[in-house]
Amino acid sequence: MEPVIQVAGLHKSYGNFEAVRGIDFEVAEGEIFGLLGPNGAGKTTTVEILEGLRARSKGQVSVLGFDPEVSKRSLKDRIGVCLQATNLPDKLRVQEALEWFAAFYSRQAERDKLLQRLQLWEKRGEFYSKLSGGQKQRVALALALVNEPKVVFLDEPTTGLDPQVRLEIHTLIEELRAAKRTILLTTHYIEEAERLCDRVAIIDEGRIVALGSPRELQEHVFGQSRIEVSTAQPMPADLPTFEAVAKHSISADAKTLVVHSTRPARTLPDLIKWIDQKGLELEDIHLKRPTLEDVFIELTGKKLRD
Amino acid sequence: MLNSYWTQIRMNLLLTLRNRIALFFSYVFPLIFFGVAGMNNEGGNGVQILNIVLGLGVLGGGLFGVGIRAVQDRELNILRRFKVAPIGPGEIIVSGMVTALVLQVPNVIFMVVLAHRFLGTPWPTQPISLLVFVSLGLLAFASLGGIIAAIVNSMQEGMLLTQLFYFPLLFLGGLTFPITGFPLWLQTVAQFIPSTYVSSGLAPIIRGKETILDNLSSAGALALTVVLGTLLAAKLFRWEKEEKLRPAAKFWLLAVLSPFIVLGAWQMHAKTNIAKAKVLGRDVQRSRTSLIRGARIFVGDGTMIDQASVLIKDGKIAEIFTGPAPEAKSVRADAIEAAGKTLLPGLIDARVHLSLPGFPISDPAYFQDLDQSFDRELAAYLFSGVTAVKSVNDPPGMVLKHQAVTASGERLGAELFAGEVKEDGFYDPALAGVEARQAYQAGRTDLLERSLVQQVVPRQWLAQVKDGLKQRDSYEAVRNPIGLEAAKQNLAEAYRTGAMLVAGTDSGYPMAVHGASLHRELQLWVEAGVPSAAALQAATYKAARMLGAANRIGLIQKGYEANLLLVDGNPLQDISATERISTVFFKGERVNRSELFEQK
Repeated sequence: MEPVIQVAGLHKSYGNFEAVRGIDFEVAEGEIFGLLGPNGAGKTTTVEILEGLRARSKGQVSVLGFDPEVSKRSLKDRIGVCLQATNLPDKLRVQEALEWFAAFYSRQAERDKLLQRLQLWEKRGEFYSKLSGGQKQRVALALALVNEPKVVFLDEPTTGLDPQVRLEIHTLIEELRAAKRTILLTTHYIEEAERLCDRVAIIDEGRIVALGSPRELQEHVFGQSRIEVSTAQPMPADLPTFEAVAKHSISADAKTLVVHSTRPARTLPDLIKWIDQKGLELEDIHLKRPTLEDVFIELTGKKLRD
Repeated sequence: MLNSYWTQIRMNLLLTLRNRIALFFSYVFPLIFFGVAGMNNEGGNGVQILNIVLGLGVLGGGLFGVGIRAVQDRELNILRRFKVAPIGPGEIIVSGMVTALVLQVPNVIFMVVLAHRFLGTPWPTQPISLLVFVSLGLLAFASLGGIIAAIVNSMQEGMLLTQLFYFPLLFLGGLTFPITGFPLWLQTVAQFIPSTYVSSGLAPIIRGKETILDNLSSAGALALTVVLGTLLAAKLFRWEKEEKLRPAAKFWLLAVLSPFIVLGAWQMHAKTNIAKAKVLGRDVQRSRTSLIRGARIFVGDGTMIDQASVLIKDGKIAEIFTGPAPEAKSVRADAIEAAGKTLLPGLIDARVHLSLPGFPISDPAYFQDLDQSFDRELAAYLFSGVTAVKSVNDPPGMVLKHQAVTASGERLGAELFAGEVKEDGFYDPALAGVEARQAYQAGRTDLLERSLVQQVVPRQWLAQVKDGLKQRDSYEAVRNPIGLEAAKQNLAEAYRTGAMLVAGTDSGYPMAVHGASLHRELQLWVEAGVPSAAALQAATYKAARMLGAANRIGLIQKGYEANLLLVDGNPLQDISATERISTVFFKGERVNRSELFEQK
């Protein structure tokens, strides 16, 4: 089946500044695809090119078979967009906002159902200015769905929301996944990408540095778990060679040992057996799988958030 | 597509109705203005107030409605959300303009009803023309607002630029007061301003004097502005603050004003609109309501009313109240207290020569610019309370031209009659002319010492009279076959035999000064033994009959044109009282006599 979104060799320059420097990816139907990267990485620029809001400098782009630069209107009619920051007139009621935007589209969702699904039914008569941040973001999501879009673009849908609201929005996006919508999501939250995305492209300084499912990324790019052991007494210096251990390090007081293992299920029993044999008393033990954060730091040398 | 426009307009309306500030400026502000202006409306000029209120609404509703709203929505990042929807700038601008129009139309109707109810203005006889014209004006200003919105970078800049347009459009375009009060150069500048074409069409349409078809060039320019303005506003439209403005964009504002640059340039040449503005200004003056209270009234047919009040409305005598005077407020009129004064019909001079100056003058400039001489002399008549004259032996082309400019009201001057008399058998002794010629032959200048003469003839010309006397020839002696005394006896004889007498003067001959001479004529008649009342009748009603205009001038009667002369004292007892002029009314306008000679 034809991918819903195809991007090949995409470049975008603003004067001398290259915001996007050659990006390639495809998004299949029904997939939730994430663009993960820090602020200024080129995520929003990429998305806005796909939405038909900006012209590209170079490269091939197709969304639902349309070139966004050529068939702007037909494209906009079929996609749903949730902007990074949405604002509406203060004195506009929730249901009026939906009615207003619905009028622009050739396909229209059942608005009452949409309001219920987004838990806005109770608030449908409320002025926009009277809504909380989470409610406003749900209105923004509702507007993105008002035309039953085949593809939904969610640009940092949870930025600036408190953790509770963020979880609510995540639940809503998971419902969209269940409804088999194709979604392109940008975020700089690792857990958002890990939780929601089928595939993630890690983007930095206008380039994709890694692309795959969150698990693939973790394993492929950085396939080691980290085991940290602490003992009451200092450990002897003559550490045996454990199976599947890539490297290890020991603290200055020799009471904490960090071991990186490609097969932690094998390494862990050996390690405990060794501590037991040496008559050491085990105080603490951690097994940590690598996160996308670790992957990101490993690949780009920077943190996602300051 | 239609659904999208309709929803857009409906939501815009909803939001405006929920916005207290917008509501205030759209509806309450004009109402307050209406109230304030209406309270000071003793002059009774409701039409003028209606004109101003509608003008304010059209300009304010258009310029501020669409533009400022768009800037605000852009500043608040509201427009960004629309940018990702399948809707173009054109739809946003057009629906904004239609919204402004829908908001304004009830206002127009409301104001017309208010003016009718509280200010007594008549219902507009051209409602469709009025509505179309108001709409065109509003949409033109709205598209201008749309362009302003596109080229400013902040709300402050938007307000500043909008006001930079608002005030000149308001004050220079004749929306608030007629541009006729401006110096000529500023009147010319006003011809480049769009609102001039709104006001010059709106006023006569409200008065029912014209329709949209009489204002096709104005309507066309406005319509062109609407089209150009809308296209440009859509082309330059910016969804987000961050979108760059092309440097050339600000010049597009000039492009949209191009119809008016063309019209202005044409008007610099043709000046028809300046003339029209003068006529409109005159209409305003002529449609005022005045009440002359408690005067002695010489009706013109020889009868007198001892004490009566005359109501002047829309240029006509609307009512004559005998007995105690009504309060001016009760009839919504300016009060003119006239106790101890006498009100006469405007005087009529049955024989004048406008191409002659009326005093010996050597200045060739006088004869070269006959046009100016005619203007001056017709003004001099009005100054002297003579509201109509019959020209004899003047160049027909000049007569026709001046008939036109005074009839339209472009210039203020006595009504000019010429050509054949309508009825035969009138006797016109022109004693003042006889006296003037005798004085001239004798080299006497005493006739020029009279107060009214001094007022109507410029000093520098009076100073040249001695030169003029030196150059006189014997021609006049031949033309004056009889002396004054003989002429007086002839008149007395004619009066006794019941001849139809009319008062003419032969003004224009040396020493027979235009305007002032008719008063002298009346005095000579009384000296000849004609009763004052008969003399005055000959200078009013009978002269009007001779001119075939006795159905509208020459009498103080309901329905007659309000051409009136109010003098101190009683000319029936002392005929020279006619020279003690208190006020002159011409077609309902209370003539500002001191400015008559300074008309531009």
